[in-house]
Amino acid sequence: MFETLPDLSNAVLSSSPALTKEAAAAFSIGLAALATGYAQRGIGSAAVGAVAEDGDNLVPGLILTALPETLIIIAFVATFVV
Amino acid sequence: MSQAGTSNPEYVNSRVRARRAALFGEEDYRKLVRMGTGEIARYMEETEYEAEMNALGARHRGVDLIEYALNENLAKHFEQLLDWAEGTLYTRIANYLRKFDAWNAKTAIRGVYSGSDAEEISTDYIRAGEFDDGLLDQMAAAGTVEEVVELLSETIFAEGLDAAYEEFDERDVLVPLENAIDKTFYEHLLDGIDTTMVDRNTPAGLYLDVLQAEIDFRNIRNALRLSRTGTDLDPEEYYIEGGKLFESGELRQLVGNFDEFVDYIRESTYGDELSGALADLDAAESLIQFEHALDSALLEYSDTLSYTYPVSICSALSYVLAKEREIENIRAIARGREVGLSPDEIEDELVVT
Repeated sequence: MFETLPDLSNAVLSSSPALTKEAAAAFSIGLAALATGYAQRGIGSAAVGAVAEDGDNLVPGLILTALPETLIIIAFVATFVV
Repeated sequence: MSQAGTSNPEYVNSRVRARRAALFGEEDYRKLVRMGTGEIARYMEETEYEAEMNALGARHRGVDLIEYALNENLAKHFEQLLDWAEGTLYTRIANYLRKFDAWNAKTAIRGVYSGSDAEEISTDYIRAGEFDDGLLDQMAAAGTVEEVVELLSETIFAEGLDAAYEEFDERDVLVPLENAIDKTFYEHLLDGIDTTMVDRNTPAGLYLDVLQAEIDFRNIRNALRLSRTGTDLDPEEYYIEGGKLFESGELRQLVGNFDEFVDYIRESTYGDELSGALADLDAAESLIQFEHALDSALLEYSDTLSYTYPVSICSALSYVLAKEREIENIRAIARGREVGLSPDEIEDELVVT
């Protein structure tokens, strides 16, 4: 049993980290996408309400709904950094 | 901030705000007070009220047409408001719109008492509350006041109505029945809200503040009227619980002394908002101006709250109050023009913020 111990500890020390760089980047993008969705949820429903009242609001509504997209675009930079 | 995990408050809020902004402004009123009743009807046809004016135009004319169109429009808007709203938002709005249930119940009782036929009573309804059409039609078709009271015993207005009915039976006056209905409405206004809330700086707390202000103002109004007319009616009978200005039992001694009463209001939390109106009250003969000041103070108060907490019940509440005001203003203009009041006199009657 004692003979295998050095091998075992070696294996633990040399193994790669639980999360690779690429995986971490993917996570960061995924979280940013969730946040974007959460922000757009409220804005979108308010925009739909405003458009229902007056069709002229369509363009401002679209712009405001698209604004949180900046979150995920910035997070996208992570893919180029790693 | 949203209830039940949906984005409903955001949706309702933006629709309500668009409608709030589209209400008649000071300029429209200035135009309206200089018009005759025919012109007012014409003007309304070109605005928000087009659909109602066209639908009712064949059946009514003149000021009646304007009035029914206003009521119908009010009902339409508030029903839509309830259609959109979900969850807590729905409950709170519906709670406030019970005001129209009270109105309809009183309309039915008065109509039946005065022997109007079912159709006349139905046209006077404002179908915006919780009562469904079936109940409203049954009430309109009722033969006696007793039947109406029985129909109402299924609703929240049942409490207090039985005792009031006995009094009505003895003295043959409607006042006790009407008072019972109004009192029930106001006392249920705070249902489902924690009135012991300490932190008032939350949407729910502010909502409570507005409702308590409404109850307080109602109490002030009743008490001032009693005080001015100098009757020996018991003010406690008209006292509505739930406000924060008066305790039960306090009113009786305040009503007896007009000056003391005015001082009491001046030193209360509403003193600042009402100071101008209170100064006028000392000089003026009539209470009308003061009552308008109360109305506009409430309106401004709810508006302020809707800016402080954009996505909450407050903006819906402020819309409901403003819409009601608009209906009352236009009605005042139309009725005023009908009897030939001058534009200045009518302008005094309007509540514009």
